[in-house]
Amino acid sequence: MEHPLSARAAGTDPEIVGRLVERRAPLRTALRDAMRPGEERLRDEGEFTRLALEILAYQMDANPVYGAFVRHRGIEPRRLGHWREIPPVPATAFRELPLDGLDVRPVEAVFRTSGTRGGVEARGTHRVRDLSLYHDSLLRSAGDLLGLDPAGRGGGSRAGRPLRIIALTPSPGARPDSSLAHMLGVWMDAWDPDGGRFLADAQWRFSPAALRREVRRSRGEERPLLVAGTAFGFWHLVRELRGDPLPEPPAGSFVVETGGFKGRVRRVSRAELYLGIGRAFRLPSSRIVSEYGMTELLSQFYEPLLLGGTPAEPSGRHYLGPAWTRTAVLDPGSLAPAGEGEAGILCHIDLANLDSVAAVLTEDLGIAAGAGFRLLGRAEGAEPRGCSLAMEELLEAGRRAGR
Amino acid sequence: MTRPSALFLPAAPGIPEQLGTRADAEALTGALARAGEALASRSVLEIASALGRVGLCFLDPDDPVRRKASEGVAAEAGLSAEAADAIVTGMARGWTPEGLGRMVRADFPDPLVLDGFRPAGFGGKLRAVGGRFALHIGAGSVPGVSATSMIRSLLVKCPLLLKPGRGDTVLAPLFARVLAASDPELARAVAIVYWPGGEGGPLEEHALGTTDRVVAYGSLELIRLLRRRIPPATPLVAYHHRLSAGGVARECVEPVPEAGTVLRAAARAVVTFEQRGCVSPRIIWVEEGGAVSPPVWGAQLFDALELLAAELPPGTESLPAAAARRQERERWMLREAAGTGHRIFSRSPGGAAVLYEPDPFAPLRLPAAGRTVVVRPIESLSKLPAALAPGRSILQTFALAAPPGRIGELAEILAATGVRRVSSFEEQSWPPAWWRHDGTGPLHALVSWTSAP
Repeated sequence: MEHPLSARAAGTDPEIVGRLVERRAPLRTALRDAMRPGEERLRDEGEFTRLALEILAYQMDANPVYGAFVRHRGIEPRRLGHWREIPPVPATAFRELPLDGLDVRPVEAVFRTSGTRGGVEARGTHRVRDLSLYHDSLLRSAGDLLGLDPAGRGGGSRAGRPLRIIALTPSPGARPDSSLAHMLGVWMDAWDPDGGRFLADAQWRFSPAALRREVRRSRGEERPLLVAGTAFGFWHLVRELRGDPLPEPPAGSFVVETGGFKGRVRRVSRAELYLGIGRAFRLPSSRIVSEYGMTELLSQFYEPLLLGGTPAEPSGRHYLGPAWTRTAVLDPGSLAPAGEGEAGILCHIDLANLDSVAAVLTEDLGIAAGAGFRLLGRAEGAEPRGCSLAMEELLEAGRRAGR
Repeated sequence: MTRPSALFLPAAPGIPEQLGTRADAEALTGALARAGEALASRSVLEIASALGRVGLCFLDPDDPVRRKASEGVAAEAGLSAEAADAIVTGMARGWTPEGLGRMVRADFPDPLVLDGFRPAGFGGKLRAVGGRFALHIGAGSVPGVSATSMIRSLLVKCPLLLKPGRGDTVLAPLFARVLAASDPELARAVAIVYWPGGEGGPLEEHALGTTDRVVAYGSLELIRLLRRRIPPATPLVAYHHRLSAGGVARECVEPVPEAGTVLRAAARAVVTFEQRGCVSPRIIWVEEGGAVSPPVWGAQLFDALELLAAELPPGTESLPAAAARRQERERWMLREAAGTGHRIFSRSPGGAAVLYEPDPFAPLRLPAAGRTVVVRPIESLSKLPAALAPGRSILQTFALAAPPGRIGELAEILAATGVRRVSSFEEQSWPPAWWRHDGTGPLHALVSWTSAP
């Protein structure tokens, strides 16, 4: 069912849209410049704030829902002096409101969150109007923080031999709604001269035997492996292997775990998961990198592990983002920055979200760590429960009633 | 606490201190079964008064037991002292000799069927048997659920191994200890051991495999797991999570909010278990055409909640709960700003919130727990079935504020919709001891019947 706001937000007045297109162009250019390899200007707080506030002013007009939200809070963008003052939208709002704003460009992709918590109708939806912005952002972030060539030249590996990229996910063709599958497809195009390989079907199922064959093949070719997948995918693999590890991968291989249990109940700790992955791939935990991404954001955060920027021990690690992002750790009560070393909720400002909303308040808990953050977990389902119903249970009951 | 951790073990020879092995588990369940044999010769009414005398200690404000109970509950469940005190009082009202006597008589008009065969009216005789031992599994954090469950089992003379919920480990052990001092024989039929669900090792395995009955309180997921784990012939009494709600007839939408008895009672029902109880009203439908419109009623309910906070301050909130609540309130604010007709009434993030949703029949969406309640308008309460239908299998208490002349008809409609209890807002949080818990007699559910000529 179309949300009642869609019609309003779809605003097609050519004059208004035309003006917005003109205002958008310099912002897109500024972002393209900021995403050039080696460019770090936006690390400067002043520079970042200036661009973030320009984007806020643009988004308030391009996105009437967000504009109303900001004004509703009595906030006047011109009076703001710091990116921290930008009001974030709650990530869960992507499930129900059109946050991609007016038709400044056609929608090029529609990504959906995978959680089953809200049922299909309540999955978060990110309508992406500029895939090139997503590609610029994701290549530069992954390139920098995984030690790959951000320009995608030379087959990726800085160690010399080209990478072989294997994804324990469906292909973007099989799951066009998965931003993760899309991202991994872009990696493969950029960094695997043979185009990489997706092992899972559209239901995210894959066979460990196929992975075994791929590892053998990369050994034969002596090409370092990059195996990427969700936490759930890796856990499935670990259980399926039943203690029978994969062949030893070539030197320089590593694993990228992208978080996410795809809506399944999480019953395993991160330490346990990494132990299992390490044994399965015969890799030390210093070769298992975590990526933190969200369907709602077009930029990603990585543990700077391969650059030696964070300890190998999983519980001591932290994430860093690219220069066009900031992460604030906020007190859930006041939304003011949490105290030094105190846990709070993560709020990301991702300027790559030019065509939706840059400031997103997540359900994730974390602690500020240098220029990045440590992830503590997700708020969902963690609230004190009595014998009152939880949302998932209500949905389950509803499905039964409706059958 | 991790792994089995004993909170109360009967004082009897052969009861193991460690509960890590199969032998320990067998020794414990064996001792419970033996304690049950001793109960067989006692009268149910005498057991009810012995339990009721312990219950009275929890009601007496000057009794150290009562103070210990309130302090323990406040600390464990993250409630304010006042709110914890109100919960202990409310729970203990059902634990008095009078309350327990009523509970027994409501399920067994002839309570002596628990003591021996009794004439059954159709020529034969009947006897109710509680069993050798039952496993009671609490989950969650509503204080008092485990203690009530324990009392019920003892009333049918069935010894029990009780695994309380993580947030409910205070009242049952305290009750058992007081009982041990006054009636050691009865207390020997109780073992209380905590373990995180699924991590009970040999004890959990053995108890699930050999018990006469499993009584479980928890999520649908827990019930599903248990159904898979217990032998097919073992009865499972499942009190899964439930949805409670409320409705206000136009005649009961009061013109003077300050004097609003319905508003005050509804606010109290929201606050009592911080919306964690299966009797907590998560959504309230307000009939249109009353003295004020439904959104205005929502605003008034918010004022009533704020007033009540002085008497029953909110407790401390975990970070994840606070984060979930913040997410929800921001989302509601966004809806309000977007002009969809949604409204949010709230002042401080840790305090109460009333979320107004303009569509009576929108998919049932639950607000985060804590002092948050959704208010929806409805043209007529007789249309409630359409709004409640998706929750059919999980509905529980529906608080109804309506003139006496309409209650009968509305109760019929609600019963057909799957509601298991219709009450006033005043009584919503405190079902009487004899209530048909989730639609079944609470003691009936714990016995099997034997007939004889």
